[in-house]
Amino acid sequence: MNRRERFRRITTFQEADRVPVDMGSHVASIHRLCYQKLRAYLQDEELQNQDKILDRMVQNVVPDEKLLQRYHVDFRWIAPNWIDVTDVSQDIYRDMWGIEWQYMLDAYSVYSSPLSHARTTADIDNHPWPDPEHPDLVRGVGEHAKRLYENTDYVLVADSIKGGLLTKALQIRGYQQMFADLVNNVPLAEALLDKLLDLYKLFWTQFLRRVGPYVQMVYFTDDIGGQQSMMISPDTFRQLIKPRLANLIDHIKSQADVKFMYHTDGTVTPVIEDIIEMGVDVLNPIQTSALGMNTAVLKELYHGRLCFHGAIDVQQMLPFSTPEEVRYDVAKRLYDLARGGGYILAPCHNIGSDVPPANVEALYAAAHELGGYPIAVDHILREEDRRPPTAVDIARQAAPQKRVRRPRPRRRE
Amino acid sequence: MNRQEELLDELYDVTIDGDREAVVALTNEGLALGMKPLDLLFDALIPALEEVGLLFEAGTFFVPEMLVAAGAMQGAMDVLRPLLAQTGAKPVGTFVMGTVKGDIHDIGKNLCNIMLEGAGFEVFDLGVNVPEQVFVEAIREHRPQAVGMSAFLTTTIPMFTPTIEAIQQAGLREEVLIYVGGAPVTQAYCDSIGADGYAPNASALVRDLKTRLGIGS
Repeated sequence: MNRRERFRRITTFQEADRVPVDMGSHVASIHRLCYQKLRAYLQDEELQNQDKILDRMVQNVVPDEKLLQRYHVDFRWIAPNWIDVTDVSQDIYRDMWGIEWQYMLDAYSVYSSPLSHARTTADIDNHPWPDPEHPDLVRGVGEHAKRLYENTDYVLVADSIKGGLLTKALQIRGYQQMFADLVNNVPLAEALLDKLLDLYKLFWTQFLRRVGPYVQMVYFTDDIGGQQSMMISPDTFRQLIKPRLANLIDHIKSQADVKFMYHTDGTVTPVIEDIIEMGVDVLNPIQTSALGMNTAVLKELYHGRLCFHGAIDVQQMLPFSTPEEVRYDVAKRLYDLARGGGYILAPCHNIGSDVPPANVEALYAAAHELGGYPIAVDHILREEDRRPPTAVDIARQAAPQKRVRRPRPRRRE
Repeated sequence: MNRQEELLDELYDVTIDGDREAVVALTNEGLALGMKPLDLLFDALIPALEEVGLLFEAGTFFVPEMLVAAGAMQGAMDVLRPLLAQTGAKPVGTFVMGTVKGDIHDIGKNLCNIMLEGAGFEVFDLGVNVPEQVFVEAIREHRPQAVGMSAFLTTTIPMFTPTIEAIQQAGLREEVLIYVGGAPVTQAYCDSIGADGYAPNASALVRDLKTRLGIGS
């Protein structure tokens, strides 16, 4: 089956010949150290790109076409170019937003945030913002997309300027300051979010003018989920983030016939209905190591309304499992998510420097071995992993209990 | 209700709301009325932060609400700390905290610090990217009951092990409880590296520590 037809069926909740498989976005490629280990493990000196960095911050590489073919990857990613990146010192660089990043261990983390001292909306207006219509941002992307569209059957995805709405605001303003603004300086938070929204809309207009006719999906990376709970409250999300994302999604869909894939790490179960309402077609990456991201429950609640992309955990599962356990996890995710369509299998984030190459191999080998329709993995899974979710599981996820604030306890004398 | 009781109720509420200005104003008003710093602390501020922790664990509060409540508490502590020192009031315990070498994530660590301070502990924060020997030196210098190590990444949690070994080699392992925390950390991981305790959030850390040290709430 043609890959784009496969994608079309899967994203309209029909089974196809196979479950599509992905790798290669800004946030879901392979760390250069893992890539080097993989190259040695495969004893393949022809495997290129070990120094071709895709995102300097996380130090991942653009995976070689040969590897993507080895792993039967159905997607090819069209990313905007990085512009205005300046080396500040040996281990610090500044990006186009003015955010400084410091190298530590094997990747970069935020070192300084240009608007950390902002007090008024004028400070936000006066920041030297990048030009979202800068021609270098999109130089060459249209030709690249057109070539792939005409000469291959890969599903083409437009990757965003990395960093999303809330995440970018956190990085520019500083995490603690932005979090605090969301509670006690909402006008400042809104001014920053509006500024980012305006810039993103201008960017997408010029990006889609070039790649819109060729891509089947658009990707937007943000983070609203944490390990144990959301990073911000569902109410804050609904009031400050959701309307702006809905606005952006409308803007994008008005310019190209694309599915919209929204990325947020962590647990986001309280707002998945909101995410659907915003116009999201595909939710990524389904971080199963975060609290509540139970794939069987997600499928039960949202199948037919929301597709899932990812679910292969890189935090607990891939680094710390045996290849046999990796295969088991692939079987489990296929069983939970792929039946009836609606699932694209992929690692839920970059495959890190701590992942053994044998596990990368096991992941894609299992995806190929087990990913054909009809999904037949019952013989692999233990009975407890084949049980449908209970009413209690589902109720807990759909309506988490809220604690009401207690009055001040009186002291016992 | 007299003004003092009313003031404690208000102070409790505005601390939970994270209204730093109001917290500082009420703290100053209480002191002007002749209320004792320890009463403001134990009858309003500490219960408020405990409630914030419970609201966080229950999924009613999130990181932003917790950060502003903690910031409001800090506002009161800036006023009260010199007065508490004068009274000779002793902290309930001492805690050394840091993010391990190779990692500069600090929000979780900072929330723990504030919750610990809110519970009456003296906290020595070593900051981020802290080498093993700096943990060792801080334990020698401050003689804490417990030390906390934070790491946010799967690639930096392996730094717990050499840090624990350095503490062991310095002959200080038996003197301190070692806590580990951060997004990828689990109880199983904590057990596997021979740390004493793990907590999924700041409030749970304080509760576990107080239990182990036999401090009532």
